[in-house]
Amino acid sequence: MSTIDITLDGQEVALQPGQTVLDAARQIGIDIPTLCHLERCGPLTSCLVCLVKINGKLVPSCATKATPGMVVESETEEVHEARRTALELLFSDHVGDCLSPCQRLCPLQLNIPVMLRQIQEGQLNDAVATVRQSLALPGTLGRLCNHPCEQGCRRGAADDPADIRGVERFIADHDLRLASPQLPPCKSSTGKSVAIVGAGPAGLAAAYELTRQGHGVTLFDRHDLAGGSLRDVAETELPREVLDAEIVQLQRLGVEMLLNVELGNRVTLQDLQRDYNAVLLTVGEKGKAEDGKLGVATSPAGIKTDAATAQTSVCGVFAAGAAVKSVKHLVRAMTEGKGAAECVHRFLIGEPVGRSGKPFSSIMGKLDTAELKLFLKGANSEARHTPCDACAGFSDREATSEAARCLHCDCRSAGNCAFQHYAQVYDADPSRFRAARQPFEQLVQPGGVIFEPGKCILCGICVKLTEQASEPLGLTFIGRGFNVRIATPFNRTIEEGLQKVAAECVKYCPTGALEMKKS
Amino acid sequence: MSTADLDLPFIDEAVARIGRGPEALIPILQALQDRFGYLPQEALQHVCENTEITPAAIEGVSTFYDMFRHKPVGETMVRVCRGTACHVSGAGRVEDALRRHLHIPADNDTDPERKFTVESVACLGCCTLAPVIKINETTLGHASAENIPEMVRAYEDSRNASGAAPSTELPGEGNADAHEKPAIHVGLGSCCIAKGSDRLFQALQEAVKKSGMAVEVKRVGCVGICHRTPMIEVMIPGKLSTYYADLTPAEAPALVQRHFPAQGIFTRASRLWTRALDTLLMESEPGVERNAMSERDPTVNAFLGKQVHIATEHFGTLDPLDLDAYLARAGFTALRRVLDGLQPEQVIDTVEKAGLRGRGGAGFPSAIKWRIIHQQPGDEKFVVCNGDEGDPGAFMDRMILESFPFRVIEGLAIAAVAAGAHEGIFYIRHEYPLAVKRVRAAITQLEKRGWIGSKLLDSGYPLKLSIMEGAGAFVCGEETALIASIEGKRGMPKLRPPFPAVEGLWGRPTLINNVETLALVPWIMRNGAEKFAAIGTAKSKGTKVFALAGHVRRGGLIEVPMGTTLREIVEEIGGGVPEGRTFKAVQIGGPSGGCIPSRLADTSVDYESLGGVGAIMGSGGLVVLDNTTCMVDMARYFLQFTQEQSCGKCTFCRVGTRRMLDILERLCAGKAEKKHLEELERLARQVGAGSLCGLGKTAPNPVLTTLRYYRDEYEAHLRGECPAGKCSALITYRVTADCTGCTICAQRCPVDAIPLTPYRRHVINMDICTRCDTCRQVCPHNAIEVK
Repeated sequence: MSTIDITLDGQEVALQPGQTVLDAARQIGIDIPTLCHLERCGPLTSCLVCLVKINGKLVPSCATKATPGMVVESETEEVHEARRTALELLFSDHVGDCLSPCQRLCPLQLNIPVMLRQIQEGQLNDAVATVRQSLALPGTLGRLCNHPCEQGCRRGAADDPADIRGVERFIADHDLRLASPQLPPCKSSTGKSVAIVGAGPAGLAAAYELTRQGHGVTLFDRHDLAGGSLRDVAETELPREVLDAEIVQLQRLGVEMLLNVELGNRVTLQDLQRDYNAVLLTVGEKGKAEDGKLGVATSPAGIKTDAATAQTSVCGVFAAGAAVKSVKHLVRAMTEGKGAAECVHRFLIGEPVGRSGKPFSSIMGKLDTAELKLFLKGANSEARHTPCDACAGFSDREATSEAARCLHCDCRSAGNCAFQHYAQVYDADPSRFRAARQPFEQLVQPGGVIFEPGKCILCGICVKLTEQASEPLGLTFIGRGFNVRIATPFNRTIEEGLQKVAAECVKYCPTGALEMKKS
Repeated sequence: MSTADLDLPFIDEAVARIGRGPEALIPILQALQDRFGYLPQEALQHVCENTEITPAAIEGVSTFYDMFRHKPVGETMVRVCRGTACHVSGAGRVEDALRRHLHIPADNDTDPERKFTVESVACLGCCTLAPVIKINETTLGHASAENIPEMVRAYEDSRNASGAAPSTELPGEGNADAHEKPAIHVGLGSCCIAKGSDRLFQALQEAVKKSGMAVEVKRVGCVGICHRTPMIEVMIPGKLSTYYADLTPAEAPALVQRHFPAQGIFTRASRLWTRALDTLLMESEPGVERNAMSERDPTVNAFLGKQVHIATEHFGTLDPLDLDAYLARAGFTALRRVLDGLQPEQVIDTVEKAGLRGRGGAGFPSAIKWRIIHQQPGDEKFVVCNGDEGDPGAFMDRMILESFPFRVIEGLAIAAVAAGAHEGIFYIRHEYPLAVKRVRAAITQLEKRGWIGSKLLDSGYPLKLSIMEGAGAFVCGEETALIASIEGKRGMPKLRPPFPAVEGLWGRPTLINNVETLALVPWIMRNGAEKFAAIGTAKSKGTKVFALAGHVRRGGLIEVPMGTTLREIVEEIGGGVPEGRTFKAVQIGGPSGGCIPSRLADTSVDYESLGGVGAIMGSGGLVVLDNTTCMVDMARYFLQFTQEQSCGKCTFCRVGTRRMLDILERLCAGKAEKKHLEELERLARQVGAGSLCGLGKTAPNPVLTTLRYYRDEYEAHLRGECPAGKCSALITYRVTADCTGCTICAQRCPVDAIPLTPYRRHVINMDICTRCDTCRQVCPHNAIEVK
């Protein structure tokens, strides 16, 4: 059979008769977003995020069959704007948070609800891994962090927020007490090297991130011990042995430390530039006073950098932390270091330099009383715990119990959700259309299916799957217009509608509307 | 209701009669709703158990269409029309007044004692009588917040006094030569009936019978002069016709006496007695002369002068169900010609040469459609007459179906022969019961004569005709949604291509044409393409029927040549806006169309010119707006409509129209900022570009045209002002110094916001005031000021 030739973004694509524009895009590796598309359902044309432009008109690529000579635009600003708008419209009626408020407020984006669930379930090693995914110095932050996360904790509306920092300290201490504490996975070596000058919070955080990316990191400090301003903290607040142990962890990870070396005295910036592929200055509040010796442009506030790229006046030299601008909170300083590390990393691998934006999240906002009640269901009803022994922190039992106070505001699908994924890719603004939101509902079925109607985008996949499977009841669209919803006929439960294909429906739901309770 | 109480035999009988397949779903639901007043869940389950219809289908479909209810209703059903003409004439206030008067709680549609249910409906298609309400099966025009109590009382009285009135819907009597004899023609379209023409018809029959004269009292279709209904025409051979407007049944004997004085002493005596009685009845009222208009009357002339009647040929003279009268006026000769010797290609060529374009809205050339379907292989094809006239403010198709059912059937039959289809379906919205009734009666008559079914007229061409009643969904006017609806599904449109002409009903080639398009076909075949093409403009040929309503003196049903200007329609035919008002704009094309300002009133009515000013021809709703209309409110009104009518499938339409409405509601509440206006415009363009079907693609038009022509009004709303004094959140009522303290306003205020202060200037408590406007309307001294 002869093929049908079309042009997609300037590329010739040969298709079989009956194939669609979406097939063409997939064939040549163009990622057209889809939410309602599932091969076996046929075109449902409901989400309309797969729009392309043909003959001056926007059409859904999933349902548009190729015809000879067709010319299609996909990756243009106009098409992207239309797709973005479709996503934003869907989010304006999407009731739920992708990420919990605590995680969104954490500058280092620690996945707090996951950590708490792991602790609650006794999977301490997993919890350590979760923490190390985001934090270079969990034991230190577990003691000193100003915990913005707790301000967002929804448990606070019922009684007191979960003691997130306390639990974080617990899990960090648990790990550091082991003979060989856990190290995060690192990428294979890139062969590139970075000099970081200043082993304070920003420098340590940057060293941690760059090492994980596979770069060789050498950390210089003019003192005989790494830690910078952390060495000034009272022993009662941060025991030295904890700080030391965390620095040892960095060394175990592969960070080389050259102490008692001061920039401008024994080594110059030129030396570093010669010996390393990139240089990051994290010399701290005190270090920046000696600006003359640094070799980069400064201002009264500190080292001059480009805010978006952390680059100084000298190419390949970056700066971050208090050396650039005074930083009030430890977690902020570490975030600056982490962000600069990303810029350095991109510089080293030859990508446009910059920091990635915040992870995308739909935002539900405040809960009303009824909704809060729903969230409180299943959470530990005990009051916030105070460790019996303040110095030792939470005991195992206390930590588990405190972790169980978490309301798990995050979405079960977060990180595994096409809707969230494309929102991130298309930089969608979930609050472009502000509107009175629908109430949050959650229907937990005895068999394990969880239905959160507010997250449903009415793609129609589950309706089609139940129809194809001849479910005795199945699911159907109810109503018309803006108020259409999905339900089982005759006011029966979702589970009754999903007697045969519950697992498939959960699997193919493009959002977190249908989920299966994890046993 | 428990299963035990349910009339199961009725359900079983309905299923046996209608069918058990998926396509039987909507007719079965209609039967259940007629029987129970709503759809009891047990009944739905019973249907599923005894048919191939699945629970998912029955729930999905029964919640999609407006007409289906899932809750019991009150004894009396009151429907408030929310069509465009009604909206601009105060339907909102009427509904508020009804709900207050009938004690309907805010969160419900039925009063606690279940006596009344109040429901708003998209459009009853009686726009010239706006605002319109319908109490059970009786339609009542010119409702207002003030006359609601009286209307309800009068309805209840009439229902208690007499049983059902005798039907005016018997088949015609076959008076092919009736126009040679004296006759009294009574317009019996839905609008006329809403103003009591059925009662007048019976009173006239009675009066003629008593007079003993050989005068025929004849039912005719719409006369078009809807603003003066009930309308009758007295025809005496050799004389000019005399029209009477606004007649009441009590005046019937006097009218008969005036035109047909009886001979013979005996009858005269009895007539004298009647007249004496009349005089008594009428007291000092002037006689019937006050209502008379001769054909040469300037207003009648102005109304009819510019019109050309093709789709509405023989308007006001033809008994809709008199087949012989239709035949006597060359009825079915076009079809006969087609059957007797024209090849389908020749028919299609004629339609092409005539330049006929679809009258349903988009103006697609009919011949192209016909040719595509003609060229499709196979002989299982369908022709569908799209009578799902859902535009609020439009009633042309209803009128054509009610008045000329045989003509539409003939047009459809010609289309079927040209396309090679052997099955024709009339899809008519259920809000038009009279249209359904008349088309059904017309089909029955043709079947009785053996003219449809196994052979069309007496040819060898088989053509089966049936009627599918819509169930209330504007989106079903869209071809693919209409097909889904006939197949018994939710009316959700599909991406085209494939077009229905290739893959339509049951996957077969399907020709879908609008009522008016089909009504034009017989004329074209009879008079030739050239004659049709001679009328109109270069690209828009022939005539267009419009439903002229809103703020216009002479509303009605008109048919004008393409190329007539809006000004000619509004000012000459319609007589302009009411006294003391100024002509502001014309809303054309309903929710898909736009508002054209009066300064562009010289725009020619044709597809291209209307498109050029941001509107569309649409199906023909033409609502005139005067200076009391707020254009932001107008846009809000239409978005409210499309948002409710969206099938809910695609993101842009389902969520996009809602978000546009959110912004418009903010504007009307005075809570919007400049950025909202920018977002409104941006989103409007994106919804138009991104939506899947025509409904969503055109939904932003009312917003875009008002933004284009009335941005200053939007900006005034940003400042918290409504220049037209319509948006209730932005206006206040005040009593001026002209107040004499007559207390009428205080007495009539439905919420007691005006304390009774005789002989002193009244004061309105704005915290209580609902801005119902009653005080302003009843004040005899114009002492109520709105700002």
